Parts: sequence; structure tokens; C-alpha cells
Amino acid sequence: MSTHDHYHPPGLQHQFEDMKQQEESVSIGMWAFLVQEIMFFGGLFTAYLVFRSRYPMAFAAGSNHLDAFWGGLNTLVLIVSSLTMALTVYYAQKGNRNMQVILIIATMFFGAVFLGVKAIEYSDKFNHGLVPVAGLNHKSKAEEPAAKEEGKTAAGEKHEPNPRGEFQWTGENYEASVKIITEAHEKKYLTKYEEVGYYSNGELDQNKVRDKVRIFYWIYFVMTGLHALHMIVGLGLMTWLLIMAWRGTYSADYYSPVEISGLYWHFVDIVWIFLFPLLYLLGRHFMHGGGH
Amino acid sequence: MTYITNGFTLKSWLLTKDHKRIALMYLIAVSVFFLLGGLYAAAIRLELLTPQSDLLESGSYNKVFTQHGVIMVFFFLIPAIPAVLGNFFLPIMIGAKDLALPRINLLSWYIYMIGGSLTLYALMQGGVDTGWTFYTPYSTTFSNGYVMAVGLGVFINGFSSILTGLNFIVTVHTMRAPGMTWFRLPLFVWANYATALVMILGTPVVAITILLLALERVGHIGIFDPSIGGDPILYQHLFWFYSHPAVYIMILPSMGVISELISNFSRKKIFGYEFIAFSSIAIAVFGFLVWGHHMFVSGQSMYAGMVFSFLTMVVAVPSAIKMFNWTATLYKGSVSYDTPMLYALGFMGLFLIGGLTGLFLGSMGLNVHLTDTYFIVAHFHYVMVGGTVMGYLGGIHYWWSKMTGKLYSEFWGKISAMLVFVGFNLTFFPQFILGYQGMPRRYAAYPEELQVLNIFSSAGASVLGLGLTLPVMYLTHSLIWGKKAPANPWMLPGLEWRIPSPPPTENFESTPVVTWEAYEFGEENGLDLDEARKRDLATV
Repeated sequence: MSTHDHYHPPGLQHQFEDMKQQEESVSIGMWAFLVQEIMFFGGLFTAYLVFRSRYPMAFAAGSNHLDAFWGGLNTLVLIVSSLTMALTVYYAQKGNRNMQVILIIATMFFGAVFLGVKAIEYSDKFNHGLVPVAGLNHKSKAEEPAAKEEGKTAAGEKHEPNPRGEFQWTGENYEASVKIITEAHEKKYLTKYEEVGYYSNGELDQNKVRDKVRIFYWIYFVMTGLHALHMIVGLGLMTWLLIMAWRGTYSADYYSPVEISGLYWHFVDIVWIFLFPLLYLLGRHFMHGGGH
Repeated sequence: MTYITNGFTLKSWLLTKDHKRIALMYLIAVSVFFLLGGLYAAAIRLELLTPQSDLLESGSYNKVFTQHGVIMVFFFLIPAIPAVLGNFFLPIMIGAKDLALPRINLLSWYIYMIGGSLTLYALMQGGVDTGWTFYTPYSTTFSNGYVMAVGLGVFINGFSSILTGLNFIVTVHTMRAPGMTWFRLPLFVWANYATALVMILGTPVVAITILLLALERVGHIGIFDPSIGGDPILYQHLFWFYSHPAVYIMILPSMGVISELISNFSRKKIFGYEFIAFSSIAIAVFGFLVWGHHMFVSGQSMYAGMVFSFLTMVVAVPSAIKMFNWTATLYKGSVSYDTPMLYALGFMGLFLIGGLTGLFLGSMGLNVHLTDTYFIVAHFHYVMVGGTVMGYLGGIHYWWSKMTGKLYSEFWGKISAMLVFVGFNLTFFPQFILGYQGMPRRYAAYPEELQVLNIFSSAGASVLGLGLTLPVMYLTHSLIWGKKAPANPWMLPGLEWRIPSPPPTENFESTPVVTWEAYEFGEENGLDLDEARKRDLATV
């Protein structure tokens, strides 16, 4: 049926002349896809930038409630997974089937650990009324505060009852943010948005502060949620790679699926490399005695 | 065997990876949306015949103009030329068998259909009344319409645009035939390449913006709500960061078509090839830096406004470069007035007016007076209808014989081209005056002294409607009763004219080797039109 009778290597699609053209095409295609991904996340980074520069103290207070240990652990996990992914590409080029399979499984393992940690963090936010959408938090009655069930909260931490599962910024959380906001207010560090954004008639307004912290949590959930979604897609890709590698599909002549999946995986890692400092680390010193 | 006769089952179409078949599927789909958007336009013009809000009450009127905008912008103007003509001809014009990623191409059609169906569903359920821009807080707090469903439809549809753009970029980079260097590419390919850049850089931003809008509507988190610390202007920034470049997604491919038409129907190598090619890229780049001119009165910083106003003047330069080069190409060319050329000349006239009134609106002071009036409406219809639709129709007529293997009736073609031109001007020129006199857009009622011009406009709309209906009839007619088209009815040098009409599935028997520059007319290429006329090949 084919009008040309030159040799067609396996894996070569009909629209291409040779493997080199095909590899180049899929590789440029993935790069172009990653460019659009950057723009996709870019909208969120813009929103982050705008609101962080408006309400730095609320962001610092909100950020402080994220657990830098879990965030740091996840960063480490993802960097290691990038290493195993890069090695997968290396062994695909060598045509080493066993090492490919082992490394893909390792990559998937680290990806799963990342998502597991993320789940722990999310459920912590759920239990503490820190999910920014009303109704999506743990609903606790007045007589059984959420903190008690949790069992591991710091002694003396008080939690308001949260019968409708709303976003809460109360107790120690609120008092800590009052401390840094008042200090910044006295030193005239507050932005003009903060002056009207935290205060009503010269008094600190708890609801207003809560709304600004909620913007931080909203950005946190959208950014990390979208990132986690990309991780899940990445795990799907890895599953497919695993099956193909198991069958011994990839060799020095044909490994571009491994290569471009690797590009995607590294991209998702790099997004996290930006998310971690922006969400977990920036502004922590305000809460921990630094600030100069 | 041609690509059309290569399988007759429904499955052979719905699961095809052939760029030509996918282009035809897009053609049918965008035509349906164009018809629907046109019906909404007809309803608007009917309502505006009288000063009172009588045919439609204000609420329904809001829905009608919103749905007209949403359908026309997202489901017709943006995909029309790239997804139909670009899909069909970009691979052929560079000497490739197909786009680089045929499965992605098919996927993009399905995504378009899903997004479109969802939007249609929302319209049938009760529609949306926010204006096509979904401005907050109308869209988040006040609207009772199906903002979520329509937004989701637009969100999904965006990915079809991204995938098309991605495919074009890859294809132009890797699929060019031997000898087809970057500066031998037909300008239509350059234009689509520039469009593709805008598609993959801009569309994801509107996608995330609509996602945020949806979250805001569901969660009431306040990102766009000033009463709890959010910022509605942020929405406008993010929205226009895409939606201004989207104007270039609409107009750039059309400019590509016009470059083809002007050069080929002047039978002369295009004047200033490199300038036209790079002006497309320049438009794509500068197009990303002018979004703030939609927001002069929104409360953005005055200094930002000044910068955006300046950059708006700058972005007019590459468009002007194209206009001058086209005009220079016509000079001493042997111009023929076939239907596609009539559309091209019409484009030049209308786009000139559309472009120059864009400069009026880009001047901050004048903008304060004219913003949200019919002047704006007239301006962007001169660019989008006068620009994009004219280019699209010109391209459809130009390549119809190649796509279908049939010749349409030149007589009716010319009649409809002229009807479109006259009807268009009659519809939209009065709106410049109406806008200047202060008639605001998006109202069902207006003061009585403005009725005469509105009647002109509505009368023009019916002429325009007739002009747009005719092609549907004679083009469909040609499919069955049309004369069989020769491979090269106009004796043109492009690669697409060197293969049979309609093309075989693989486009070329063997990969072509390109040894000529674009638009090289010369008797040594066997392109003698007089000779062809004698052999009764040409339709002119």
C-alpha cells in the first residue's frame, strides 16, 4: 500500500521520513508543551506575586502554618526522583531493560511518596479548618473541638468549634499574626493595602485578617493541587513507560518516549522547586524572632 | 485514490489521522458555529431596529449579545483559519505528508467538539449574560446564567487551540521538505507559525484565569472580590493578557491568506517577503505587550496606561508594513479580479479602517470618550469580520478547488464577495458615527434620534447575511454539480498546486525537492496563464 519502498524501522510513524525526524518532532513537541505549561502555572504565579506584595504579613502568618519539614522532605523526594528519571533515560539509551524497570519503579515510588506526604499535609489543613472553601473543612461541634481528636496539637492550643466547616483563623494562629502585624504597623512596614486590609477604624479586624490569610491558603491549595494533578499524570506516564520498558521496547535506536516523559517529569519537579520556597519558606523569619 | 475516496465509512472519518479530513471536519463544525453566531447577530440587529427594548427585554438581550460574542470569538474566529485552512494546507505547502503529530491533531478536534457541545448545552439550558469577557464581579457574584458551564466549555476549547498551535510549531520546524528553507516558506506558513506561538503562549493563561473564575464562583474565596481583599482588575489583566493576543490569533492567519492572494492574483513575486514574514513574528511578540489598552478606564495606573498606549502605537507598525508591501505587490502586477482576490482587496480596505480606528482607541484621551460605545463595536468588527472573515472566505474560495476537486461558480462568487463588502460597510460604518455620538454598547434601548443610523446598520446586516448565505449555497452546489477542477486552475507556483485536486492521502507521490523561491512566476515554471486559458484550464 505504501508508495515508497525504502526500509521502515519499527516505531517509525508514516508521516516521518526517518527516526531522526520523528525524534526531533516529539522532542520539540514536548518542549512546546512545557512552554504552555509554564504559561499555565504563570497565571498562578502572577496571582501569588500580586497578593504576596499586597499582604506580606498575612502571607507570612499563613506560610508559618505550613510544615517546612514535610515540604522539605517532599523537595528531597522529588529531587531524588529526578535522578532516577534521568538514569532511566540513560539506561534506555543503553538498552538495559532491567535497570530501566528498576529505575522507573523507583521513580514511581518517590512520586507516590510525594503524593502521600501531600495527603498528610492536606488532611492536617482539613482538620485545622485551613481549607479556604467553606464546608470543605472538618465540621466540629462546640463540645468536641477538632484539635482534641487530632491529639498531636501543641498543648494549650485553642480551637473554636467549626460546625459548618468554614475557614478558621483563630486562637494561636490569629494571635501570632496579630503580633507580627502590630509590630510591622508600629515600624510602619505595612503596605497601604495592609493598612486598610487588616484594620477597621484603627482597630485590628479579625475577620479582615482571616480573609487575607485565606487568600494565601487559596493560592497554596490551587498551586499545590494543580501540581499534584501533574504528578498524578506523571505517574500515569510512568506506568505506561514501565509496561513498554518491561517489553524491552526501548533501545539506542528508539528511546524518545522515555526522553520526553523524562522532560515532563523534570518539569513537574522544577515547578515544586519554585513552590516550596515561595509557599513554605518566604517570610518565616517574621514569625521566628528575625525580621531585620 | 484521493483523500476523500480513501474510505467512506463514518469510522474512516471520525478516527482519521489525515490532516485534510480533520480540516474538513473542522470546516463543518466551525460553519455550524458561525451560523449560530450569525443568528444571534441577526437577533441583535432586529432588536436595535427600534429605540425601545421591544423584541427582546434587557435580560434576554444581554444573553443574546454575550452568546454571539462567545460563539463567534472562541468557536469561530479563533479556530477558523488555522484549524481549517492551516490544517489542510500547512503540511502541503511545506511538502510534508501530514502534520508532525496527527493523533494530537485529531485529539484537538475532539476537544473542540467537547468544548463546543458543552457551551451549546449551557446556551440551551438558559445561557449566560456576562458579556463574552466574563468580567468579575458580574460573572462571580451577580450573574444567574450558566457561567460555569460556558466557562468550562471555553476552558476545554482552549486546549484544542493549544494543541493545534503546538502541532504547527513542530511541523514547521521538522517537516519541511528538502530545499524548503525558512525563507522559501509561503507567507501563509509564516503567519500560521506566528499564530501558533501566540496560541501556546497565551491560551494557557486564559485557561488558568477561567479556572480561577470557576473556583471563585464555587468557593467565594475572594480572589477577585474587593470586599474581602481580592482584585477584580487582576481578572481583567489576566483575561486580556490572552484575549488581546487572541485578536492576533484571529487576524494573523488571515493576513497569511491575504499575502497568498495578493501575490498570486497579481502574478508577481510578493514585495518585501522578509518584512512580511518578520512582521508576523513582530505582531506575535508585541501583541503580548498591549493588553492594558483594554483597561484605560478600569482603574489601572495612569503610567501603565501611558506605556500601553505607546506600545499600542508600536504594534500598528508591523501591520502597516504588511499593508504597504501588499500595495507595492499590486503595483505593476497583472492583477485579476477572481473571487478570492475580491475578498483580498476587500480585506485591505476594511482592515485599513479597522486598524486606523484602533489607533484612535489606543490614544488614552480619546479612549475615555469612546470606550464602551459603538465605536469600539465598529472597530473590532472591522478587524474581526473585515479582517478575519474576509480572509477566511477568500481562502476558502481560493483553495476550494484543491480541497474538493470541484470548481464553484465564479459569477456567484463575485456577486457574494461584493454583497459581503457592501453589506459589511453598511452595517458597521454607521456604528462608528453612533459610537462617536455616544451610543453605548450592550443596551437594548437607545435614544430616538439615533434610530436612522441604526436602521442603516440593520439593513446592512441583512445584505451581509445574504452575502454570507450565498457561498453556502453555491459552494454546496459545486460539490455535486460543479465542474471537475484541474490540478492548477490559476497556474500558480505553490506546492499545493503541483499535486492533484483533491490531493491523495499522502499528499505527494514522493517527497518533493524544492528548488524555487516562494511566489516565483516565470514561464520556465510552465505557469503561462495565457497558454492555460487557451487550453481552457483556467476559470478566469
